[in-house]
This record gives sequence, structure tokens and C-alpha cells, in this order.
Amino acid sequence: MLELRSILVKYGKTVAVRKLSLSVNKGDFITILGANGAGKSSTLNAISGIAKVRAGEIDYKGEKINGLKPGTIAAKGIIQIPEGRRLFPLMTVEENLKMGAYLQNDKRRISEALEKVFILFPVLKEKMRAKGRELSGGQQQMAAIARGLMALPELLMFDEPSLGLSPLLRQQLAEKIKEINRDGVTVILVEQNARLGLMLANYGYVLENGELTIQGKTSDLMLDDNVKKAYLGV
Amino acid sequence: MPPAGIWIDALVQSSTYITMAFGMVLVFSILGILNWAHGQYYMLGAVVVFYGVTAAGVPFPISMLITGLIIAGLGMLVKKVLIDRVSGDLYVGAVTLALIFFLEGLASMLFGMQDKGLANVMPGNMDLGSFSVSYQKIAVVSFTLVVMIAMYIVLNRTKVGLSIRAAAQEPRAASLYGVRVDRVSLIVMGIGCALAAWAGCIMAPVYAINPFIGRIPMIFSLLAIVIGGLGSLSGAIIGGLILGFLNSVMTYYISYYSEVVLFVLVIILLLVRPQGLFGAALK
Repeated sequence: MLELRSILVKYGKTVAVRKLSLSVNKGDFITILGANGAGKSSTLNAISGIAKVRAGEIDYKGEKINGLKPGTIAAKGIIQIPEGRRLFPLMTVEENLKMGAYLQNDKRRISEALEKVFILFPVLKEKMRAKGRELSGGQQQMAAIARGLMALPELLMFDEPSLGLSPLLRQQLAEKIKEINRDGVTVILVEQNARLGLMLANYGYVLENGELTIQGKTSDLMLDDNVKKAYLGV
Repeated sequence: MPPAGIWIDALVQSSTYITMAFGMVLVFSILGILNWAHGQYYMLGAVVVFYGVTAAGVPFPISMLITGLIIAGLGMLVKKVLIDRVSGDLYVGAVTLALIFFLEGLASMLFGMQDKGLANVMPGNMDLGSFSVSYQKIAVVSFTLVVMIAMYIVLNRTKVGLSIRAAAQEPRAASLYGVRVDRVSLIVMGIGCALAAWAGCIMAPVYAINPFIGRIPMIFSLLAIVIGGLGSLSGAIIGGLILGFLNSVMTYYISYYSEVVLFVLVIILLLVRPQGLFGAALK
């Protein structure tokens, strides 16, 4: 479904991602792991069209998408839930969700998506009139995911969703992401918390200084000595 | 207690500042720049509406509508041709500062520097018992009310308004969900310039028109948004009212000294509350 072929992302002269290739099939749950600054977010931003791809190609369903505007890419069903939630702080939760469905015109599909969101995150139903900045950290993350779901994603990319959450909330979040994937949405999960990424995903990529170092089934990665030492602290 | 006329003038002054300040706040929220030439769009509004009414013979309300559209177009053109090609706040600031003199010079060449007036538009007074108010002043205040209501509806009840607020609050998230931030900022520039032009139009029958009338309203609207808190529309309303009323009432008591006192008060306010009365609350 999604294919990255040897992409290069640079900010000025700094290389963020170098010669990265990865592929995602429909229904997959993959994770991209690595330390801070390894190029994980840049990879997602390249897919979303926010970061420029200087070399290589990104294909989605056999069609080249690098070079397209972020909105055009989002309209194809590739949706990113950015690091740090990035809710619209002065908008109500309701307006935030409306912004998620900004590109959608089909009223019926929008209300179906909203129903699903309420089943997944019942708390949001009571918080519809609260402003983004008035929510707790956990609620903000729920609202950010809900906003992403309102965009009717086929491929949903999470950038560090567990950041700043308590272990209990992290566990609940993990369940929700699994549920979204089970519902047929393909998931790319970027995590600094390698344990969480490996626990949830089926396949993992490990980035180091912008380059792919290890990849494989998460069940294998968990047993890999290098991964254990560097990311699991074993 | 100052006579009723002073309070009416205060309201008229506040109205101008508020309409002008709205445009500046919008542009500042989205583009992150202060458009220093905002006052010159106000001046051009007055000049264009003057010619629309006197030379072309178009009725004042229609002339005003068209003027707003023309100046909106000009503002958008300036953004595309000049502002977008320059990067860095300092340089963008320099470009819009230069525009002040360019637009004033252009207006002087085409229009001449002497005062002109549109006083014959909307003549007459409304009698309110012990005092009377000119229809022109009533028009200024009612127009500002209409602008405030219209802005509220556009920003809070329409999809364009939603995308404007989204782009102001979190530009990156907005673009992730399909908002064309570049297009939104162009639209906002157009709305901002049209508001300045309309403020100029509606004031044209009240004051004299010349190429330099944009300077004072610009300074006062800038102060209004600083008092109210940069980025806040409700702050702009409060700031505009405070300035308009303080200035009119103090001028009544201490004439020329009022501006000195006014600026001292503003400085004291900003020392106590640097973020303005409302912080950066709206967007």
C-alpha cells in the first residue's frame, strides 16, 4: 500500500533521513523506533508532505505522492496525528473534530465516524464544548486521535502518542490503537518507547541517525541483542 | 461631565479604531506580521470612495462596497508580489513601511495634497431632544456594529472562519488536515485590507480627505490591539473603546495634552500587563 524507496530528507544542510526504504501493506501495524533525532518524525512528515523529499520516491497504492500538497495527501486517506497532539487550543473539541473532517463532504460518513469516535472515547462526548487547552493530557491525546479518525484514515500515523502519559494511560492508549488497527485501519506507530512499539506492532524498523539499521518482525526484534541493549535497557 | 457630543465623538473614534484594528489583528494572527501600511489602505479607501461618488456618480453605499473589493484586491496583490517574496520579519516590516510612503506618494500624485470632502453624502441630523447627532456619525457606529457581527459569524459559523482560526492556532496541524494555509493567509490579507478601506470609506463624509489621513488611525489601532492583547479580536474592541473614549474626553478637558497623557497611560498599562488586557486570546 505504502512504499518508501530510498528517500532523503534534509533541513538546510542537516540530513534527517537518508536512503530509507520501507513498505507497508494494507492492515499492517508497523512501528518505527529510534532515539530522539533519529529521523522518525521526519519520515512521517515526508509521507504527509510537510517535509520535502529531496531524493527517492514515496508511492501510495502505486501512485507517486511525494511532491503533493499535505491536503492532497490527507485526502487520499493518509493521516498523521502529530507529536505533542497539536490540538487547536482555542477551539472546542467539537470544532477540533470538525477540523479533522475538513476535507470530507459526505455528511453521513462524517456522522458515522463521529459515532465510532464516541464508542472508542466515550469521555469526549461530555467534553465536546471544552476548549482544546482545557483538556487533561490524556484527554488531549484522545481528542487528537479522534480528530485523526474524523479524517476517515486508511493509513493512520501516530507520532509519539505515549509522550507525557502516565503508565496507566499509556496502557489504555495502546488498547485503543490496537482497536483502531483491528477495525481495518493500517497503522504506523513512531515511538521512543520501544517496548510499547514492539508490543503493539507486527513489524518494526529501527532508525539511527537517519538511517535504517535493523528491521524485522517485532517478535524477532524483541529477542535481538542490539535492540535489547540499545532500546529495551536489558 | 462632558457634553453628549463628546461621548458621540468618542464612539465614532472608537469605531474607526476597532474596524481598522480587526484587520490588523487578523493579518497578524495568520501571517505573523504587522502590516505597517494598514493606515494607507484606510486612506486609499477614502480616496477611492470619494472618486466613486464624485467622479463616477456611483451611490455611496455601492461605491463603498466596490472600494472594499478593489482595496482587498490591491492588498492581495501586494502580498503576492512583495510580501511573499521577502523572508524574515524585519524585511517584511521594512517592505510594508516602505509601502506607506509609496502609497502616500502615489495618492499625492493622482489626488493632490489638498483636503477634499464628501460632506454632502448623508447630510442632516437626528434630533435626540437635548442634542442632535449627524446621520454620518450614526452610519459610522452602525457600520462598525455590522462589521463586528459579521466577523463573529464568519469566524465562528463558517468553514472559511474555521480554517482561518485553525491556521492561526496551529498552522502545521491545519495543513495536515487539508487547510491551504497559503490560501487562507491570502484571503485574510484581503479581508484585512477591505476592513481598513471600509473604515476609510465610512469616515470619508465625517473628516477631510487627503493622502496623509491614514497615519493617525494606524497608530491608534496599533495601540488598541497592543492594549487589548495582540491576536485578540475582543481585545481589539475593548482597546479601541478605551482609546476612543479616553482620547475624546481628555481632549475636552486638556486639549493638546491629552495625547501625552494617553500614551503615558498606555505605557503604564503595558508595564503592569505586558501581554495586554486579553493576552493572545482570540485567534
